[in-house]
Amino acid sequence: MSAPLEHACAAMLRRDLTLAWRRRGDMALPVLYAVIVVVLFPFALGPDLALLQRIAGGLVLVTVLLAMLLALDGMFASDIEDGSLEQLVLAPQPLALMLGMKILAHWITTALPLIVIAPLLAGMLHLPAAAMPALLLALLLATPLLSLLGAVLVALTAGTRRSGMLLALMLLPLCVPVVIFAAGAVAAAQEGLPWFAPVAWLAAALILAVVLAPLACAAALRIALDS
Amino acid sequence: MAKWIPLWLHKLGSPPTFYRFAGAVRPWAMGLALLFGVIGLYGGLVLAPPDYQQGDAYRIIFIHVPSAWMSMFVYAVMGVSGFIALVWRMKLAEVVAMESAPIGAAFAFITLATGSLWGKPMWGTWWTWDARLTSELVLLFLYLGVIGLYHAFEDRRQGARAASFLAIIGVINVPIVHYSVVWWNTLHQGSTVNIFGHSKMPWDMLWPLLAMTLATKCYYAASLCRRARTDILALESGKDWVREIAQAEAAR
Repeated sequence: MSAPLEHACAAMLRRDLTLAWRRRGDMALPVLYAVIVVVLFPFALGPDLALLQRIAGGLVLVTVLLAMLLALDGMFASDIEDGSLEQLVLAPQPLALMLGMKILAHWITTALPLIVIAPLLAGMLHLPAAAMPALLLALLLATPLLSLLGAVLVALTAGTRRSGMLLALMLLPLCVPVVIFAAGAVAAAQEGLPWFAPVAWLAAALILAVVLAPLACAAALRIALDS
Repeated sequence: MAKWIPLWLHKLGSPPTFYRFAGAVRPWAMGLALLFGVIGLYGGLVLAPPDYQQGDAYRIIFIHVPSAWMSMFVYAVMGVSGFIALVWRMKLAEVVAMESAPIGAAFAFITLATGSLWGKPMWGTWWTWDARLTSELVLLFLYLGVIGLYHAFEDRRQGARAASFLAIIGVINVPIVHYSVVWWNTLHQGSTVNIFGHSKMPWDMLWPLLAMTLATKCYYAASLCRRARTDILALESGKDWVREIAQAEAAR
């Protein structure tokens, strides 16, 4: 007798959020990393207002992406160590749905703090206030997309020991379109042009990824744990 | 309808048969590659007339364009055999997919290197963030990701399956990357050679290019045969037929 699906989903989400909350210090690390990177750039480039303004949008996007990449490695790590991921594979509930819940929990605990801090980072680089809504909307669509794509790759490397650099190498080709469209939206907003089209592309890609990525993630996990 | 074709294909799926088949094909493929390569290079570097605008610098296309075609062709082979490996769990398809990856990466690297050598005198820069160049670079990174993932696993077959999955994701990703970067303003010229229509290239420049294309195709086949043979021996070590080969080698 298996629990109803929505109960299982809620339990999964609650478990992962509770686990993350018990180790709140880890949640702060990506945010801290992003702040450090953004602080370093004016030192390296000099406090030239016009230059910083021009690169602010892209810089914040890339910083958030790198911070997420750092956190991505740990998405399934503790679950593989204590064997609960194998229990999840054996559970009667569909694996893709359960993994979707795990990805959602991971997005809430790592990407949401970064989105909250993003206006501050952009402000430190003097991004014009007019471009701020575009940046936030682009981040809101791009970060779940990165979480979903990243989850597939993390699942693929689940059976390996050293995966940090490998993950970056594998994620780079996948995140190129995301970065292009997100940065395109911010750049258009900064120049006062309509920025709806790239955001719509991001939204379309996100919808596609929400449907397909958990399925791909489940398939990848079965390959990686199958031995 | 000839029944021996499917039968022969099924037999070819077995490692010992493929080992013998690849051993028979390899010298022929390598010989053809050398023959076409010599003809193509002679035709391209000596016989073909210099370009009216670029002079002799254009001759790098006889390496650049066939390598670029091959970098995409090899990726397609890798994706298809990766798909076969995942769906039908064929050992041989895993071998072909994984042994194609380093060859494809080499072709992608040659494309980028020759392109930047040509770009310096012609465009005045080694590298530019142009759509085609960026797509080719992303393709190289995909190859490197597949190779890296394959070697990260302790178990070879598991690594091959995981890397095949990544290759399939990459097949979906390549057109997306291509069209997203096409939106950037682009410097690289469009294609001149058209298979189905009239090519915008004089015949005495075109035939060396086609010869070089055949040469790279044959080289790929020869190299793949060689690599697959080695890989099969390593995978099947401990089986009787491999032991027989090893004993025959030792007796010589």
